[in-house]
Amino acid sequence: MIIRTLLAPPSSHHVVLVGWLLLLTLWSLACRADELAQVQIQTNYIDMRSGPASSYPVVYVAAKGEWLSVIKRRTNWFKVQTMKGQAGWISQSDLHTTLSSTGAPVRLADGSFDDFTQRDVELSAMAGSFDGVPSLTVVADWVATENINLGIRLTQAVGSFSENQVAMLQLSHTAFPEWRVAPYVMLAAGKIRTLPRGSLVDSGDEARSANVLSIGLGMRYYLSQNFLLKLEYNNLLVKTDRDKNEEVPQWTLGFAIFF
Amino acid sequence: MDTRFRHLLLSCAALFNAAVFAQQTDNSDTVITPQPERREISEANIDSENFEIALFAGVISIEDFSSSALLSARLAYHIHANFFVEAAYAQATAGETSFEVLSGGVPLLSDDDRKYRYYNLSVGYNLNGETFLSDRLVLNSSTYFTLGAGSTNFAGDEHFTVSLGAGYRLLLTDYLSVRLELRDQLFNSEIIGQSKTTHNIEYGLGLSVFF
Repeated sequence: MIIRTLLAPPSSHHVVLVGWLLLLTLWSLACRADELAQVQIQTNYIDMRSGPASSYPVVYVAAKGEWLSVIKRRTNWFKVQTMKGQAGWISQSDLHTTLSSTGAPVRLADGSFDDFTQRDVELSAMAGSFDGVPSLTVVADWVATENINLGIRLTQAVGSFSENQVAMLQLSHTAFPEWRVAPYVMLAAGKIRTLPRGSLVDSGDEARSANVLSIGLGMRYYLSQNFLLKLEYNNLLVKTDRDKNEEVPQWTLGFAIFF
Repeated sequence: MDTRFRHLLLSCAALFNAAVFAQQTDNSDTVITPQPERREISEANIDSENFEIALFAGVISIEDFSSSALLSARLAYHIHANFFVEAAYAQATAGETSFEVLSGGVPLLSDDDRKYRYYNLSVGYNLNGETFLSDRLVLNSSTYFTLGAGSTNFAGDEHFTVSLGAGYRLLLTDYLSVRLELRDQLFNSEIIGQSKTTHNIEYGLGLSVFF
């Protein structure tokens, strides 16, 4: 019935009216979504800067008792606007001295170590040595519990004779989630693909792939906001179709960010 | 039947609007008092703009293979006012070596092998500041340096590549910027016979959006 009504020939001015009413409805809903959050200054003053870093000049000094609307955030800086329309950026540490509309102290995630313990996702990028040749590794981890990460680990190692690509599912475990510097162990399984270098293609070698298992030991260090340093050693066991399985050591050093 | 239904639909829409406006009128009643209605702050109602997506067009001088146009796409995540991490992908088509030109068209590489593509992950450091375009017009800007590693696919092979870069970002608005960047891509190559470290220097102009 509704469809029939909406599909009725648009001869009637009702259609236009319905359109207007729908637009008005959307507009009134959009207006509500557009409202900004406000905070009130409790300290003597807060410096508002022209950009989201402490190196930008102060463009306005907001006084105690003033209300600020919070417009947006970039890293740990917040763009705010006074009730008179003056806009500028304040630091998160300054924002945390204000009170919210309900009178509660403002506290937002700042990438601190406390936030680190609450993280859901960790993304790592590491460079290192894979059996003596330079390698790059990226890992996307889902933080399943405070001790256990589940992730996908991709490595590309480019040597003089061949290129190796490794894709693995990885489980890592730390016994000390509350430590800033913490060791962890890793267990991974996946596939390795070895491609001979172009200049050696004529030698008859072809791309081959094999199953691979890996165990490793790592160390992570919470450096500063949203940033970790990671050092890892992995020992890969490549299941070849020859008599002997191949062992490949891999060292990596890199960083991770978390959300 | 249709007319009746349309009346019903119109009445519903009108009633709903009336309700919404009535609610807003209620709010404006309270505005008369010295305490206007304010909104509670939370992570969810602050728009955070830490990601930056950029497109670059420029020129790369591929060692021994003359200069070519380069297109690149970037995705950066700003961790801190000073630090960011960035993933880059770029592609170009290499030109001819002097040998190929002088020998009168003996190709050293096939057309497919002439494709030059790289990906790269970098860490960047911003030096934030302002740029005075005129006495009255001041824009935020940053000079930045990057260090990264990645892989270049060229002449049918992958090459582990280290990249060093320096750039300048001019923020037209809070979320829109123009970037000018210079990068050196270093990798070991044996393409022309001898093994050597090649410097492949690129520069480009880009447009980026923070979101």
